[in-house]
Amino acid sequence: MIEAPAGTAWYVYGVAEDDPTLARLEGVELIRDSGLTAVVRAVPLEEYDEAALPERLNDRDWLERNARAHEDVLQEVAAVTAVVPLRFGAIYRSRDQVLGMLDERAGEFRSTLERVRGHVELGVKAWVDLPSLERTLGGDEVAAAGSAGAAYLQRRRQEQERSRQATARCAELAEEAHRRLSEVAVAAVANRPQPRELTGRTEAMVLNGAYLVRSGDDLLRLEVERLGKEHSSDGVEYELTGPWPPHNFAEERT
Amino acid sequence: MVERRSLAEQVTLLDLVDRVLNKGVVVTGDVTLSVADVDLVYVGLRLLLASAATLEREAAR
Repeated sequence: MIEAPAGTAWYVYGVAEDDPTLARLEGVELIRDSGLTAVVRAVPLEEYDEAALPERLNDRDWLERNARAHEDVLQEVAAVTAVVPLRFGAIYRSRDQVLGMLDERAGEFRSTLERVRGHVELGVKAWVDLPSLERTLGGDEVAAAGSAGAAYLQRRRQEQERSRQATARCAELAEEAHRRLSEVAVAAVANRPQPRELTGRTEAMVLNGAYLVRSGDDLLRLEVERLGKEHSSDGVEYELTGPWPPHNFAEERT
Repeated sequence: MVERRSLAEQVTLLDLVDRVLNKGVVVTGDVTLSVADVDLVYVGLRLLLASAATLEREAAR
């Protein structure tokens, strides 16, 4: 295996620590260089043609199929050895170019592998049911005296005030959760919560965190359970995802 | 192997996009996704989901 077959290119999923067991993985090829292994697969070049890519990315079936394939390969590799996930869509026309990339970034890959070895990424999302949070915040309905117009205005003001308090409370809850989860993790990242129009849920996502923990370590899961119990009266639900390959911890921290 | 696959299958497309397209080391290949491309994915997903919701509403009528 020297060059990708005609009309194809090497898609690189990730860079792993060299391990003989990797050779057992099906459907992928390995390009090795001084202790580092690029896990690759030959893909049709036309699928990743730069001109066609924006359109492909907006083809839900194509995107889903290829994003899942990317994740599947990384999970299989991560089950065997430490891996640095690459971002979707790293394409090289020749083996030499892959070797060049490994060589150029070797120092960075080695230090990241060192950092993530024996660890997994867990995702934690916090969902808030805003109506029930606003109910907990109370703000008794004060029966307004006077005209219907004045009563309406007062009701509007109360609603706005409750909504402002709810927003503040959400930020507070998310911050507390992220702080407590960070304390039981080796590294932590709070990502932008996914917008409601994409999640399709009525609850709002207020925390979209990723946490690097030692594999088999149960502390984070237990903390998520504790947070869930403590915050359930505020209308907050926690969701734990993973274990994931360390997507969020692959880049060197600056 | 089967168990790992089923785990990946439970993952929502959004969580996948969040990680697989938004995270991970960026290397300079022959084709490299730019931030603009990823934003396009979000725009695309919005349109897809919005149109799916419209279809569902129409079907429900």
